[in-house]
Amino acid sequence: MEPVPHILVVDDDREIRDLLSKFLERQGMRVTAARDAKEARKLWPLGRYHLVVLDLMLPGESGLDVARWIRTQGDTPIVMLTAMAEETDRIVGLELGADDYLGKPFNPRELLARIRAVLRRASGEGGPGVKEPPAKVIRFGGWLLEPARRRLLNPDGVEVPLTGGEYELLQVMVERANRVLTRDMLMDLLRGRQAGPFDRAIDVAVSRLRRKLEDDGRNPSLIKTVRGGGYVLAATVEKA
Amino acid sequence: MDSLPRPERPEIAARRGLPPPLCWLWPGSLAGRTALVLLLGLTLVQAAGLTIHALDRLDLQRFAQAREISARAFGLWNTVALAPPERRAQMLADVELPPGLTASLDEQALVPPGGPPPPPPIIRLFRLDRLQGSGPVRFRPREVRVGPLGPPGPPMLLPSPLPPAEFGRPPGRREHGPMHMGDWAGRPRQGEWGASLRLADGQWLNLQVRLQPPRPWHSETFLMAFAVMTFTAGALTLWAVRRLILPVRALADAADRLGRDVNAPPLPESGPTEIVRAAAAFNTMAERIRRFVGDRTQLLAAIGHDLRTPITRLRLRAEFMDDDEQRRKMLADLAEMEAMIAATLAFARDDSAAEPTVALDLVALCRTVLDDAADAHPELAERIDYAGPERLVVQARSVALKRAIANLVGNALAYGLAARLRLIPAGNGHPVRLEVADDGPGIPPAELENVFLPFRRLEPSRSRETGGAGLGLPIARNILRAHGGDVVMRNRPGGGALAVATLPM
Repeated sequence: MEPVPHILVVDDDREIRDLLSKFLERQGMRVTAARDAKEARKLWPLGRYHLVVLDLMLPGESGLDVARWIRTQGDTPIVMLTAMAEETDRIVGLELGADDYLGKPFNPRELLARIRAVLRRASGEGGPGVKEPPAKVIRFGGWLLEPARRRLLNPDGVEVPLTGGEYELLQVMVERANRVLTRDMLMDLLRGRQAGPFDRAIDVAVSRLRRKLEDDGRNPSLIKTVRGGGYVLAATVEKA
Repeated sequence: MDSLPRPERPEIAARRGLPPPLCWLWPGSLAGRTALVLLLGLTLVQAAGLTIHALDRLDLQRFAQAREISARAFGLWNTVALAPPERRAQMLADVELPPGLTASLDEQALVPPGGPPPPPPIIRLFRLDRLQGSGPVRFRPREVRVGPLGPPGPPMLLPSPLPPAEFGRPPGRREHGPMHMGDWAGRPRQGEWGASLRLADGQWLNLQVRLQPPRPWHSETFLMAFAVMTFTAGALTLWAVRRLILPVRALADAADRLGRDVNAPPLPESGPTEIVRAAAAFNTMAERIRRFVGDRTQLLAAIGHDLRTPITRLRLRAEFMDDDEQRRKMLADLAEMEAMIAATLAFARDDSAAEPTVALDLVALCRTVLDDAADAHPELAERIDYAGPERLVVQARSVALKRAIANLVGNALAYGLAARLRLIPAGNGHPVRLEVADDGPGIPPAELENVFLPFRRLEPSRSRETGGAGLGLPIARNILRAHGGDVVMRNRPGGGALAVATLPM
């Protein structure tokens, strides 16, 4: 991990900007804050940012426009702050290439965990520059995953609802299909994304996921158990 | 399995307002009622028409018969009067007489003398005046007696033992002298009368007229035509009524759609003027409702948005508090506030309408909700379970339906410390049925429906514990009703409450 991550916070509320900066700085990060899209563009060349925390509701130019603009500048990860139930904003944001999102009002510690997870993934996968554009749909073994909508469709096109934990697990495994993932690796990949009792229950989550994928628990063909403690998603993965 | 009660049914039945014995005769639908009234009217008109026709035909038949009889009677008289006396009987026997006319030569007159003159209708109908007034004098009868016949049979034909003045009157009436007029005048029996004509040699030609009963329905083509006409008119009536009622049905459908979706397309404003007016009024009303809902949604969204910022600030501020205990409590309070705002916004916005309907696996959705609940309440995990099929595809709005089921499960966990979900697939006209049972104290019967009122909590003392705003069940009901289903609360026989939700396929 980089020694001191540099975060750009874009939010129109001065209090939130200041408090968030102070909070993140206390966690050992360097923070630059911008009031709106104009100021963000002005500040952009002045530093090399590792991550942008972007409020979608900005006066004037919206957060979506800023996200689109940042995407033209490079692959700096974006964590979006969205309004409580604005499903469409979230989908558009994720399709534009935001790396994660949080509803407002957010829990600061959860925001911190997500920032760290996104930074870790970005550095773990070669850092800025090599990240491919986000896939709209991912096909594996006849199933379809829509990352923006966090939706899983079965081969008949029927939506199969997943819990947050199941979705994260499935996405992590689909992104690393045909690679053996030990429980520790899975926990590491998922930590920060899913708070709570998830990490003690990888096996439970896998068995729930198998049931939803209609994968026979005794003789699974999609998510296989590897001797010695690990799982592998055995399928050809197509991204579109 | 008992089906869900539909509260509106009894009201509709009561509103019909007919005494029970007639209820089954009076159709429920407007089309049925209109058709029934029109057909009844049509039947009346047809019956009246038929009666007029029959009476007319009756008159005509009688007239024709009477004319024939009178013509033949004259002919007969002329024949008899001209014939030599010894050949009269033979000639009379040879003459073929029309039905209703019989003639005989007797020594006695059939009609007694001194009777009242025949009433004018009879004279006109049979042209009796011609008996006396026409032809050369030597051919005229020496005496003419015309009178009513009594009941048919021997008394009439017997040579009368009675005094002449009494002859021909019905027995038992002889004391009432003037009453014999009644036979002609009171009810002129046009069909039954006799005439006695005296020949020059003193013989009497007795004619008896008994008109055949008229047969107004004799024509088969008429009856056929009448049946075809009636059937055609009835069929046209039914068809026209159906067509006329169609816009009313369209209006009802539109109102139904509007109830589910405020943004349903407007009614086409076409057709008869009344329908156009109704459709226009309906569309105006829908527009007003839309504007009202829109205003309310905007207002709530604004409040929600404005509250988000201070809560976010407070959360950040809490992170700078040194007292861990106080910070924990403050964050809990903030979480509660946030949940209440989220629930209020969700209830008020009803944003499920904006979500598209997709095919989704209801079993996976239920399991997702239950797994989330079990993860959030590990101490209750053993009292959270699922029973039902392994797969059940329904058409629904995924996010909204998940919220509805999560609310039912959350309510069961909060008040009943258990959530046992049972799913029964649709079949035999039954909708999909989803039941959530808990182990709590149940709900007082009087409150079973009240729990669906917004901000209603049965035990206020519990509100802190559950942290709800009293909107979970109202939201669940709104969502399920928007799907065309419903949810009601029941008490289980063994204790505990049971939420019963239905969802049409």
